[in-house]
Amino acid sequence: MGKIRIVVICPGRGTYTRETSGYLKANGAPAQSHTTWMDEQRKAAGLQTLTELDSQPFKTKIHMAGEHASALIYTCSLADFLSIDQSKYEIAAVTGNSMGWYSALALGGSLSVENGYNLIQTMGSMMAGGTIGGQIIYPIVDEKWQIDESKKNMVTAEIEKAGSYVSIYLGGYLVIGGEQSSLDKLLKSLPAHGKYPLQLPYHAAFHTPLMESVSKKAKAMISESMFQKPSVPLVDGRGHIWSPFSTDTAKLVDYTLNHQVTKTYDFTASVSAAIKEFCPDKMVLLGPGNTLGGAVGQILIENNWLDIDSKKSFSKRQESEPYLISMGMEKQRKMVC
Amino acid sequence: MSIFNREDAIDKNFTARVKSGTLPPPQSATAISEADTNPAELIGLFESQVFSRHMDLRARLMKEEGKCFYTIGSSGHEGNAVFGNVFPFTDMAFLHYRSGAFFIERSRQVPGSSPLYDLGLSFTASEEDTVSGGRHKVIGSKELNIPPQTSTVASHIPKAVGAALSIDRAKDLDIPERNLKDDSIILCSFGDASVNHAAALSGFNTAGWAVKQGGHVPIVFICEDNNFGISVPTPDGWIRDSFSSKSGFEYIACDGLNILDLIKASKEAEAFCRKNRTPVFLHMKTVRLMGHAGSDIEAGYRSQKEIEKSEFHDPLLHSVRILLENRFLSAEEIVKLYENARSNVKHVCESAALRPKLDSAEKVMESLTANLDRRSAPKLRSKKDRESAFGKEFKRLSKPQHMAKLINYTLKDLMLRYPNTLVFGEDVAQKGGVYHVTADLYSQFGVRRAFNSPLDETSIIGSAVGFAHNGFVPIPEIQFLSYFHNAEDQLRGEASTLPFFSEGQYTNPMVLRIPGLAYQKGFGGHFHNDNSLAVFRDLPGIILACPSNGLDAARMLRTAVRVAYENGRVTVFIEPIALYMTKDLHASKDGKWNFEYPDPKEEIPVGDFGTYGNGKALTIITYGNGLYLSLQAQKEIEKKLKKKIKVIDLRWLSDIHVPKLLKAVGTCKHVLIVDECRRSGCHGEGLFIRLTEASTKPLNIKLHAAEDSFIPLGKAATVTLPSKESITKNALEMVNG
Repeated sequence: MGKIRIVVICPGRGTYTRETSGYLKANGAPAQSHTTWMDEQRKAAGLQTLTELDSQPFKTKIHMAGEHASALIYTCSLADFLSIDQSKYEIAAVTGNSMGWYSALALGGSLSVENGYNLIQTMGSMMAGGTIGGQIIYPIVDEKWQIDESKKNMVTAEIEKAGSYVSIYLGGYLVIGGEQSSLDKLLKSLPAHGKYPLQLPYHAAFHTPLMESVSKKAKAMISESMFQKPSVPLVDGRGHIWSPFSTDTAKLVDYTLNHQVTKTYDFTASVSAAIKEFCPDKMVLLGPGNTLGGAVGQILIENNWLDIDSKKSFSKRQESEPYLISMGMEKQRKMVC
Repeated sequence: MSIFNREDAIDKNFTARVKSGTLPPPQSATAISEADTNPAELIGLFESQVFSRHMDLRARLMKEEGKCFYTIGSSGHEGNAVFGNVFPFTDMAFLHYRSGAFFIERSRQVPGSSPLYDLGLSFTASEEDTVSGGRHKVIGSKELNIPPQTSTVASHIPKAVGAALSIDRAKDLDIPERNLKDDSIILCSFGDASVNHAAALSGFNTAGWAVKQGGHVPIVFICEDNNFGISVPTPDGWIRDSFSSKSGFEYIACDGLNILDLIKASKEAEAFCRKNRTPVFLHMKTVRLMGHAGSDIEAGYRSQKEIEKSEFHDPLLHSVRILLENRFLSAEEIVKLYENARSNVKHVCESAALRPKLDSAEKVMESLTANLDRRSAPKLRSKKDRESAFGKEFKRLSKPQHMAKLINYTLKDLMLRYPNTLVFGEDVAQKGGVYHVTADLYSQFGVRRAFNSPLDETSIIGSAVGFAHNGFVPIPEIQFLSYFHNAEDQLRGEASTLPFFSEGQYTNPMVLRIPGLAYQKGFGGHFHNDNSLAVFRDLPGIILACPSNGLDAARMLRTAVRVAYENGRVTVFIEPIALYMTKDLHASKDGKWNFEYPDPKEEIPVGDFGTYGNGKALTIITYGNGLYLSLQAQKEIEKKLKKKIKVIDLRWLSDIHVPKLLKAVGTCKHVLIVDECRRSGCHGEGLFIRLTEASTKPLNIKLHAAEDSFIPLGKAATVTLPSKESITKNALEMVNG
């Protein structure tokens, strides 16, 4: 029997939380040498080490700050990626959400692990002096996790009215980015639905035109020579596939530092393209945490993938023979390690 | 290796020859610097070629497993990946069936595309197929601007020319419904054997004819010349000699095996066409691999030596040579790429094969008249606007007029209300049509909206289909019904099928006006009196209208244009020539066939029939000239029977609502169907069966139709047709027994 074919998904910001605190300690062994190197870099830069951060009690202000959160998530994802038993699992492609794109670049071989850290740290620290704008998240699905077109249209209209932007198409959610003043309008105008609309703490208006200055700075700071063709296909935040053979690294850099930073990140398109063009046997969501699992499920539902057409059928499939393996869930993690 | 299993030989040879370096020598000498490209682009093109090849190989394996239903492939034509790269996806492409590599490469321009999975769904006829929903293996995509084509030989060429004609016209007229970019051009590909087809010649001729008059026809014809039409070789030099000096065409030849030469030639073609807005004929010489299709045993008509010679020139191996020579990839990397692609395609196709198939007539038929782009008709124009448009004629609108005049008024009103309508056909412009039905439209709306076509019905309907791809609602005219027949496929194979094969993502709304039918006084002869509508009887989704008088014609034509605009529908509008100028019904100068022009808001819904009288002794069901004659007969029948009868004018020969019709027949026991068309295949024949089947009580039904004959000249012109007398006779016999 051949290997099990998987598409790996790298999570984005907001996944290293109180619940996943200590993730590196528990699961970080395969990436220990890399973690040690990163810790040294951080010490030299006057930053707390990842090992220290991971062992401390979780504090939103500290752990969710850009210069810490991104690196923590990257390292957790890296450790999980290295834990995958590649004698049994064949990695068909790597994708990610938002900051997860940087992880994907590194795990997919376009960046060395070190350069992956450098990129993430550069981008994550860009707003150390204060974030630009913010993000809120709002659902556009019904209770079955099927897209509610009228709701989607309503939210889209409100976003336009408020002068904000769709930051991420995240399965059944829209992540909305913009100036705080525009988000405040949305926090009032969008109908309350449970905890939503919810402002994401310490998140900037990623993937919106507000990031133009960040993009410009990044292009000046990051060298194209850091990048190379990936070793496995990468699926970006538009659903575009970067091939190990035909990737134009100049275009890859341009996408990463320009489009990816200043335009909507379409995670829905990423996962949709990945499932269709690689038809993996399983999807593997790297840690920390598994908060992206719901969004992936909603994207499967949107595509009626494997006849998964509702929250119920997704849950049923996950219980019997999970299609989405979340390494942040102990039980599922064991399946791939 | 087996002469019968060439796919296996080609597959194995690829790897062996890459490893051994036994690669075909270049057939052209274009240098990399001349192609203005880069390594990533060339490797990407090669990747698309390889994916396309593996789709072909996989399709054949799946065919054996009963999972794939179509094995006509792209092998040998993978050079067309270059067109998918050079031409932006905003250039609409009408492609022939060997365009897998084009499709895969073009999809790179639209992030989020899933070309492999989409092709897999199409190969395996899944209802989730994103273009046809499992109705055909088509190369098509709304997102990629590729309207679906089926087993197209050349029938797509006239519409591609129409689409090309539409671009600058839509821009000049500034119609908001246009969807092609103003500077875009059209691509149209086909094989070398296809250029012999009448439809192809029609398309090329129309393009050249328009250019000769200064028209803009921005189209790149791509002839992918593999030297064969199934088993028949194309004579040496045939394509070059036929097109290298064709009037109005820029001819560019290229080596379809050499991606560098292809890039250079494609860029030249693209730049020329986009700038000059005139046709380019891009002649790509290539080879055909694996025969015509899976079922074709090439060994039956080609020697093994010839087959192996083509295989030696596998375009993938030519691309390998370029990549190796320039050290863009190593042999090991190329083999890895090839095997990765095989694995990927295998997984994708296996997944696609599991997806659901169409399994009921209802599902299949859902898309017959589908339209995903519904729109609301523009508002009626104000009286002031109309007064200004009609000028002196406005005061005459309230005076009774014959049908030809009332249709003319209607066209004028419709062109005023719908700025995206076009009227064209033979002699319709300055002359105003042979019956003056289109009089003054040219002077009023200008040559951009009312224009003469070449004398070629295929061109007329094909152009209409193409114009409709870009937001227009064409109202073309075929001068006489009998002329329609040589252009039948443009309606039957193209216009009527587009919504079906695209699930309503593409439509080609139009109203095709055709003067026809018999009974012309002093002007007999079959070709101007053709009395058969059988050709329209079995076309799913097509609306067929046949008014019998000017009042109905005006109201029905408005409906036809509105449903075209709003719902993307195609209506064939048959105008009985013999009634064009008819003014009287029962007696000379009684003026009972003249009508006042109806208020512009009045319409007759599709399927709505008209009733004359409410007698119960007999019901006559008819249309067109049959209605006119039946009303004449009605008077005499009623006099002789001393009872009243009823006459029903079907008006619409499609969408007949039989239960409503039976309700109108009511308690009447005798139904006489009067059909002026030939008995065999006439609409009355079908109606006879449907009424018999649907009626819950015994009905005495009789079909009184024309004889199965052509129409002769002179006084004999009407002897094979129903007449007032024959209708009367049949009616009396039925009632009196």
